[in-house]
Amino acid sequence: MSVNNLLENWAQFRHFHPVDDKPHDPYKWAMSIDLDACSGCNACSVACYAENNIPVVGKEKYAHGQAMHWIRIEHYWDEDIGVPGGREFPEQGAQFLPMMCQQCEAAPCETVCPVGATNHTADGLNSQIYNRCIGSRYCSANCPYKVRYFNWYDYPTTDNVWPETMTRQLNPDVTVRSKGVMEKCTFCVQRLNAAMSTARSEGRKVHDGEVQTACQQACPTNAISFGNLVDPESRVAKQWARQQVELTKDKQTKDAEPGGSRLRGYRILEELRPYPSVMYLERVRESAV
Amino acid sequence: MFRFLRLSVLFAVLFVSAGSHAADASQPLSTADDLGPQVDQPIEFPHDRHAGDAAQGGMQINCMYCHTYARRSMTAGIPPTQKCIGCHQSIESVRETPRIKKLFEYWEAKKPIPWKKVHDLPDFVRFHHERHIQRFYFQQGKPVQEVCGYCHGNVKTMTVARRTKSLSMGWCVSCHEKQHPVDAASTKTAQGPNDCWQCHK
Amino acid sequence: MMENGFNRRDFLKVLGWGGTAVALSGCGNTSVEDGRETVNSYVEAADYVIPGIGVYFNSTCAQCDAGCSIMGKVREGRVLKLEGNPDSAINRGKTCGLGQAGVQHHYNPDRVREPLQRKGEIGVTITWEKAYELIAEKLKDVSGEEIAFLSGGVSGHLKVLLDNYLASFGCRNHFVYEALAPAVVRAANKKSYGVEMPRYNINKAKVVLSFGADFLGAWVSPVHFSQQYAQFRKGVDGERGVLIQIEPKMTLTGANADRWIPVRPGTEGVLALGIINALGTAGGDIAALVKDYDKVRVSKETGVPPGHIDKIAALLKLRSPSLVLAGSAAEGYAHGSQNAAAINLLNHVLGNVGKTVEAAAEVPFPQMAPARGNTAALKALNDGLAAGKYKVLFNYAANPIFTAPGGMKFKDNWAKADFKVVFAHYMDETALQADLVLPLDSALEDWGTHVPEYMADGAQINIQQPLMERLHANTRGMGDILLALIKQRRPEDYKSYEDYYGYLRAAMLQNKAALGGGGMDDDTFWSETLSKGIVKLAGAATTAVHSKAGATDLTLPAATQDAQYPLQLIPAVNVSLRDGRHANLPWLQESPDPLTTIVWDSWVEIHPKKALEMDITEGDIIEVTSRTGSVKAQAYLFPGIHPDAISIPLGQGHEALGRYAKGYGVNPFQILDAVFDKETGELAMHETRVKISKTGQRVIVVKDESAAGAKQIRKKIAGRMSTDNVDLSKEV
Repeated sequence: MSVNNLLENWAQFRHFHPVDDKPHDPYKWAMSIDLDACSGCNACSVACYAENNIPVVGKEKYAHGQAMHWIRIEHYWDEDIGVPGGREFPEQGAQFLPMMCQQCEAAPCETVCPVGATNHTADGLNSQIYNRCIGSRYCSANCPYKVRYFNWYDYPTTDNVWPETMTRQLNPDVTVRSKGVMEKCTFCVQRLNAAMSTARSEGRKVHDGEVQTACQQACPTNAISFGNLVDPESRVAKQWARQQVELTKDKQTKDAEPGGSRLRGYRILEELRPYPSVMYLERVRESAV
Repeated sequence: MFRFLRLSVLFAVLFVSAGSHAADASQPLSTADDLGPQVDQPIEFPHDRHAGDAAQGGMQINCMYCHTYARRSMTAGIPPTQKCIGCHQSIESVRETPRIKKLFEYWEAKKPIPWKKVHDLPDFVRFHHERHIQRFYFQQGKPVQEVCGYCHGNVKTMTVARRTKSLSMGWCVSCHEKQHPVDAASTKTAQGPNDCWQCHK
Repeated sequence: MMENGFNRRDFLKVLGWGGTAVALSGCGNTSVEDGRETVNSYVEAADYVIPGIGVYFNSTCAQCDAGCSIMGKVREGRVLKLEGNPDSAINRGKTCGLGQAGVQHHYNPDRVREPLQRKGEIGVTITWEKAYELIAEKLKDVSGEEIAFLSGGVSGHLKVLLDNYLASFGCRNHFVYEALAPAVVRAANKKSYGVEMPRYNINKAKVVLSFGADFLGAWVSPVHFSQQYAQFRKGVDGERGVLIQIEPKMTLTGANADRWIPVRPGTEGVLALGIINALGTAGGDIAALVKDYDKVRVSKETGVPPGHIDKIAALLKLRSPSLVLAGSAAEGYAHGSQNAAAINLLNHVLGNVGKTVEAAAEVPFPQMAPARGNTAALKALNDGLAAGKYKVLFNYAANPIFTAPGGMKFKDNWAKADFKVVFAHYMDETALQADLVLPLDSALEDWGTHVPEYMADGAQINIQQPLMERLHANTRGMGDILLALIKQRRPEDYKSYEDYYGYLRAAMLQNKAALGGGGMDDDTFWSETLSKGIVKLAGAATTAVHSKAGATDLTLPAATQDAQYPLQLIPAVNVSLRDGRHANLPWLQESPDPLTTIVWDSWVEIHPKKALEMDITEGDIIEVTSRTGSVKAQAYLFPGIHPDAISIPLGQGHEALGRYAKGYGVNPFQILDAVFDKETGELAMHETRVKISKTGQRVIVVKDESAAGAKQIRKKIAGRMSTDNVDLSKEV
């Protein structure tokens, strides 16, 4: 794909989803995360470090905001707790929110990349190509979820990131990124590719549950579901359908119901129209205590 | 929204065309051969003797008899030493030749043979051997030596294998952009995938 | 999974060779470099070993005592990642962050690689033969009574072998010390229910009332309980479970509660009795016991508003069965046993015993059952050392010089033994004080059997097996070392076992029928056992739980005031670092604390109200002084803590251990007073009182959350609904 070729055939290479003329087939990878089950334990994040060769940056670089956690647990407290005039204690606990790349259908990061290093794939992922990336960081600036992470240093040669013997844990299916490139959650594309390849060799589609992302596999409370939204029988498609969250809408019909719907599903910052592929299920708290 | 997107395409034009000349030159869409260097191997394995045509004194062994992993895995790997020994322990005629003696030295010491990598792709590239063999050998029914030869060249005429294709991205894409029949019987054709994440990891 | 007749050790050896070439080049490598890299092939490979495809082997996680079963992904001779084994009733295919980081223990660059003998201030590398000779020589002229063996929790065949080794000297001084084990709760459970660790059915309870049991974080078997919790939230008979957490410092579990109730530290038992009183359903002795604990008094002592007590009692009455848990926040006082007993009494009153509190299955081999112990054992050892009773001291899987409460002066007493042998993975604080350090295999290189302390459904024995060849040639498995040592004493009895693997195999085959292998030939049974990684014991016995409440003569002191040391110090258990043994794992150091998001450091949690009184802001370095000592750490303003308490997490503050641990944070163990629970003699972890003062220095707290991130910017980021407004009945 030379650059001239890319420019001439731009529209063909770059799909703007959601589009009606080119529906996802046979796969559209999507996720749903039950915030009522999520306990905020951080197992998903550590599993992601293990699977995806994420560098540990150390205290100083962490202080500079250079942590590389592709999936992080954000947490939220009610704003009136512990401030003068507010409530004294967080009596309904904290709210945890696992945040990773939302694999947007109309991804704000893709349109600003000057070199086409981040693209939409046919199965609905937002790909990041490290050796094409020139490190402009426009994508990160334009990401409303702040889930893109930049390699400010050459971590493979930085002291104590992967010292001798630690290197042997590195996953050979995932590139070890070098200085000056952007990276982010891939929905464990290496696992997806392996499963899709096996399925193709066997002349079938990937079964529901055949492929798990690293975070999903670790999650002790099964809060994360992952699967193919095109397959109506997949767990994740059923969840989206039951929660009446539609991928191609920027305002869900159910939200217009008078008094609000009694369903928990929502997508974060949907109104910005990135059409994210991750649905969250609201946390529930008992009203009787 | 679409107006905004068009604008960004324009930006992309400006940015890319400025710094893209070199990229254009180094990775042409080409099927041309590009001979790699001669690599010294610990044992000069004679591919021609094993896989070559009978007329040239070869044994016409199927590539996949030894390279068994290629059809089952992304990685082709190198056959285990056990594989060589499997035949050679009962081939007395060449038992005392220097190369076979060396082979048995490694085997008896239970040491792996430190083969040099001839076809080396960058670490950010995922080349899936299994998928290509499935597509061209099992589905399309092409002869195995032809299928392997798309990327590895005419190995059956070589002693130590030598790279003959450039294995650059432009070279890969030149084939992915062609229409290939989906199977032996069908007239239906399809292109190779052009999603970045198919090959880049 | 395993091929018959294929020697697994040889197989791993061959793989190990193949695993030496690791490409660590990044995106810079854009050229195709023929002939630069070596590709190592297998010498021999089993059919199921294919380059590029991971093979999973089952083993057991050794990161804590919960006994989760894991499968290690092995590719090209290296173990790359650990996943949960779906066949285990304990973790059902899941793992926690701590378990995920198991590979970092294995590949850690700071592991001890050679046996070391002390020569003055330095350790000199010696051979294993020399090390064994040295031990034999030192043991020659001492009696069994002069030998002491300190260990962390051990179970399975290792424990059997250890017991036999010590018995060969007539030594009865095996001290088991797990700094954070729930020893007081165990003792209280034994009295209340007749078993130390019953099976808790969180998934069958409609209400869980937890007094400081951090069952989602670090308590007993967190992955198992997390699974139960997920079911509990989905609903029992269509009713979503309600979690009420009562504790002075918010734990991870507290942060997930429907109602988190800060209680004045130490008054958990009073509150429990107050709830029994408010329920008004108890009769007889119990009614007499709680009659004085009316709302007004209880509210005054505990600081919990009377309205809350009523609401809790009403909810417990309405929704049954419920489950009441006594956790580490309740047990850590001089009256910890009384607290735990009062809390357990609630389960009896509510009729939960037999429903959500059931007897756990037992492994029918008592000699393999986990050896348990806590600071009471350490104290006994410490007293013995102080009195000069012990000449030779062994230490395995414990780091007492780091974890012993400062008030015990353990390091000084340790020095009084003539010869100290430490079996170590790292040069930790204790290994640095040894005369002989013996390097151990990692948990992913060693053989073993483990009996989990907390049994989920049925009884099970977990198998631990090597996932790859030794990374360092001169480390040894603990079982192999013990076998070598016991051969010095009883060569005739043990000569038939070449190594610990052989011993283990023989021991398992001896009990083949009892282990479910009746009718199988030895090789089939053994390879199946290894392949599964779990031996499930069908029809294992259970001890019935007492359905009647036990002793009701509880005396619960009111909270005391101390003008000189006005605050209660709560040493918090970090989900990842635990007692500090995991501090050298970089993934865990960089894994933010779930509540504060602080990384790579210690902090002092203080309630904003208290901080305002003392003019403390986030990042102020404050000095925390107890009667035993003082530490300095950054302040973090945290509303989830009782204003009369401050909290410092355990696990940091290492002076040794390794590059990722040394020099980060402070160690609150050092300033703990030596106060003990009156009944069990265990350390009262929460009984240390402190005063704090500003030092005038200030730092920027290194944490994941930023000021802006904490606001919800009027958009739905983290959504929350009340049960009134949600319909859960039709969810997938």
